[in-house]
Amino acid sequence: MKFLLTLASLVAAVSASAAVRSGHATAEWVAASSTYQPSKPLLAAIRLSVDPGWHTYWVNPGESGMTPGIQWTLPAGWTAGPVGWPVPVRFETSGLAGFGYVGEVFLPVMLTPPAGASGPVTLEAKVNWLTCSDDACVPGEGALKLELKPGTPVATAFEPMLAKVAAALPKPVEGLSLEVKDDGKKLGLSLRSPAGTDPAAFEVFPATKQVLDSAAPIRFAKTGETWSVSVPKSEYLEGEPELLELVLTGGGLPHPATVVWKK
Amino acid sequence: MKHFFTSACVGLVSLAAAHAVEVGKPAPDFKAKNVKGETVSLSDYKGKIVVLEWNNFECPFVRKHYGSGNMQKLQETYTGKGVIWLTVNSSAAGKQGNLGDAAADKVSKEGSKATAYLLDSDGAVGKAYGAKVTPHMFVINKDGNLIYDGAIDSMNTPKPEDIAKSENYVVKAVDAALEGKPVATGKTQPYGCGVKY
Repeated sequence: MKFLLTLASLVAAVSASAAVRSGHATAEWVAASSTYQPSKPLLAAIRLSVDPGWHTYWVNPGESGMTPGIQWTLPAGWTAGPVGWPVPVRFETSGLAGFGYVGEVFLPVMLTPPAGASGPVTLEAKVNWLTCSDDACVPGEGALKLELKPGTPVATAFEPMLAKVAAALPKPVEGLSLEVKDDGKKLGLSLRSPAGTDPAAFEVFPATKQVLDSAAPIRFAKTGETWSVSVPKSEYLEGEPELLELVLTGGGLPHPATVVWKK
Repeated sequence: MKHFFTSACVGLVSLAAAHAVEVGKPAPDFKAKNVKGETVSLSDYKGKIVVLEWNNFECPFVRKHYGSGNMQKLQETYTGKGVIWLTVNSSAAGKQGNLGDAAADKVSKEGSKATAYLLDSDGAVGKAYGAKVTPHMFVINKDGNLIYDGAIDSMNTPKPEDIAKSENYVVKAVDAALEGKPVATGKTQPYGCGVKY
């Protein structure tokens, strides 16, 4: 009997709310509106709330760790855009440099219903993540659901937060460009940056894995027309680099920036 | 968690670790006690192919390979072909994965089929090799040269169901060494939990 009751409460918990506690984090799928309109993109996000003393990881986790993984199962015709990765923090665990998040992070995604969408829908996502502290790593996973009804937008309690998260996502900035030169054991990065910015004050994160040494600090200095810095290569870079995306914040940028170099 | 207030210093440490060993160069000799208290040296196995596996049974990425029986199966398969398989535990006393006095019992309960399970609680072997995570894997050929340094396989997840979908780099390296062929992939980024030095 007790078993049946436990089972019943478990089923109730799953259908009533999408929050799943696993590893040292709680995951939930939230949206800016509780309703959708055909063909109109809707802002949503996977919310991960990580326990104090623990962290989870960025799209480039660094020397260890694991990028959170998301598998969408959407109704016919619905699409999910690319997952947005907010600016991370740098940390060091067990002597290994990493990039990720502490506390609460929202990984935003645009959901677009098809032109002919109608009726209430349930969207599903399987999410897995890794939480680590100084002493241990514990993986987490959850099957999350998002229920939406058709209709004109009805802002949820998360709408203001999601708007803020979306505005703070790294995006290209006019006049910002990157060149990369292979100098053997190091890569020479040179940056052009728009007037009014101070690249010496930028905080810089390598979004592309295994190109730059994750432990190396990246601080641009002025050299003539451009700004430059020499950064040790990742020991896992094979041959010449072909692509490097950096995320930059601070230094007078209008918002966090992304800049991409391609060979 | 320590934020990077001392990034220059950390950079130096990581640089030192990065150049601990190099694929293509001789693998440094070492000595460590096995779970029976006997001293084992790499040089005891001169002329043999040697696999080094860094271990912490409490790490979820290690659990992936032991809980599924994958690691024990690899150990059994290759020791059966004359390969020496040394599992090394560099967890310091009081840190996660350190087995204390229960080491022999624990290793037997996990069903290890390794040639030896080495206790390196002072981290000397781990630091000599620049072992970063568990499981970090190394393969040494019959000439004593390092031919592989990196991940066990191609999927950085703690999920056992991913093992079948992965490319196992250790299998590729040891098979190549057994056939006297060059190793296609000699270095990869290892995945797992940081070694608890």
